[in-house]
Amino acid sequence: MTFSILLKRLGYGVLLMLGVVVLNFLLIRLAPGDPAMVIAGEMGGATEEMLSSIRAEYGLDQPVLTQLWIYISNVATGDLGQSYFFNQSVTSLIAQRIGPTILLVLVAQLLSILLGVFMGVIAARRPNGPISAFVSVFATVGYAVPVFWTGIMLIIFFASVFPIFPVEGMASIRMRNAAWYMQWLDIAHHLVLPAVTLAIIYLAQYARLSRASMMEVLGSDYIRTARAKGAGERAVLFRHALRNAALPILTVAGLQFGNLISGALLVETVFNWPGMGRLAFDSILRRDYPTIMGVLFFASMMVVVANILTDLSYRLADPRLRGKG
Amino acid sequence: MTALLEIEDLRVTFNTRHGQVTALDSVSLHVNEGETLGVVGESGCGKSITALSVMGLIPSPPGRIAGGEIRLDGENLVGASDKRLRRLRGAEAAMIFQEPMTSLNPVFTVGEQIAEAIMLHQKVSHDRAFRDAIELLDRVGIPSPESRARDYPHQLSGGMRQRVMIAMAVSCRPRVLIADEPTTALDVTVQAQIFDLLNEIQRDFGAAIVLITHDMGAISEMADRVAVMYAGRVIEEASADNVLDHPLHPYARGLIDCIPALGREETDLKEIPGVVPPLHLLGEGCAFADRCAHCEPRCLREKPRLVTHGNHPAAHPAACHGVEEGRI
Repeated sequence: MTFSILLKRLGYGVLLMLGVVVLNFLLIRLAPGDPAMVIAGEMGGATEEMLSSIRAEYGLDQPVLTQLWIYISNVATGDLGQSYFFNQSVTSLIAQRIGPTILLVLVAQLLSILLGVFMGVIAARRPNGPISAFVSVFATVGYAVPVFWTGIMLIIFFASVFPIFPVEGMASIRMRNAAWYMQWLDIAHHLVLPAVTLAIIYLAQYARLSRASMMEVLGSDYIRTARAKGAGERAVLFRHALRNAALPILTVAGLQFGNLISGALLVETVFNWPGMGRLAFDSILRRDYPTIMGVLFFASMMVVVANILTDLSYRLADPRLRGKG
Repeated sequence: MTALLEIEDLRVTFNTRHGQVTALDSVSLHVNEGETLGVVGESGCGKSITALSVMGLIPSPPGRIAGGEIRLDGENLVGASDKRLRRLRGAEAAMIFQEPMTSLNPVFTVGEQIAEAIMLHQKVSHDRAFRDAIELLDRVGIPSPESRARDYPHQLSGGMRQRVMIAMAVSCRPRVLIADEPTTALDVTVQAQIFDLLNEIQRDFGAAIVLITHDMGAISEMADRVAVMYAGRVIEEASADNVLDHPLHPYARGLIDCIPALGREETDLKEIPGVVPPLHLLGEGCAFADRCAHCEPRCLREKPRLVTHGNHPAAHPAACHGVEEGRI
């Protein structure tokens, strides 16, 4: 039963990815600029001859639809093409970069959900209390402040005023030959500022959402039942209420995953984090079509996978949804 | 003999947009061991607030117990610590709510929810509590309790859910069981089954039952004694037969006249004109005055007290100037 639902979701996911590939391809072709010029420029001066040989080499002289067809059939076999700029296969470029991005996004997601939900729950307990007021203000500010600004402020603060966290990169050079756990600690140390920067805006959202969701659930009949049987405040909040209040939070967490990945692009740029966001940024500047499309492809794939996981976890959390397609 | 549960001069206020209103005004009730007290009245008359006060579940703020005592077995619950109240809730006093559809937590199995009630008050293992839960489900007449215990609330019908609520409420053998309109949301045939079940449970467990309802039929079937409430006050109290056969207060008479009887030739159903006045508009006099056919100037000036008037064998406490003056 659950297995067939999973298959169905996977099927939708594949269709969705096909659509994404086609749309990415066409959208990028619509953008102004000629990659042949850029490549020629990198090679040191463009002659008409050189441009046409570059176009022929990369298939840019074919009609767009033919190019699309070639691209899709290549993607289907796992070949995302060759980067114009980095002169490597896009797959290997992304393979180097996807790890740091996933690490950053997952840590930021976990941080924002755990902290945000905790703040929301505490605030919902006394909707008119001081903690609730603090959470509301924090949420509004956190939501309004742009990611890059938070990042720059944190960099300024931790670079000059209070230098306890590294503000750039993912690993220290001096750690290159250290034991594996020291390297891990080093990465975690580097991860603090980018993850916090990326998490703040979502943390604010989760805090607001879970405060509202918890307040609604706390007013429901089954919470009164739980109190009537003598359950303590903590059991009421975290066992009876949170399981129910978590349902809308889960939905939003799934939807936010895409935004989180685009937020990661900015954060990676600000903190020089060697992930896909930086790769996207660099390849957009250089009109490196295959790399841009490869990055978009993997980013979309992460979103689709996240949505499938959300759907499954939703079923796990809410017994009323089990067995429904 | 002292009563098991005694409510004395209970006063509950709520802060609302219209300022502070008095939801319960010197309510006094008692119920003895093994007895069923029926509390009747229209919606908004204070029945449920009374029940929630006993459970210590008045939503606060905006609600507050402003005065009086609630004694369970001699112990005053008003002002008792949260910890003490938690220990009593579910164990000594349990409650069945009006809405079986929404009163069970949708994300836990019903067996789990009953087991939780058991584990909150008894030092038993989870397995043991779950087995007890299955036994209780069997006891309240749920077929194949073994597998039903692993069902979620949405997989059960309304009647089944109310049986689960009853099983949960009696799981720790409470001495007082408060049933707040336990059958309002159920089919008529299921209503009768639930009442039978409550009667059985009372016989087996010896609990005192406070049955809150607006259904006079339920009263005649279940209650030993009846308290009629109106706008936050008790206005008449006596044995069930006495109230049903010789109602005194015009409101109580009205309620009983409203029962449609089979076989009686009636062209239309009786009703009490008007509605319960909003609590913030209660004046000096009798709260029922503007709906009462026997209203006189004194009724608008002075609140009647709940006392027995006259020495007729069926005489019993009623808060009505008309009864006092022998007009009614």
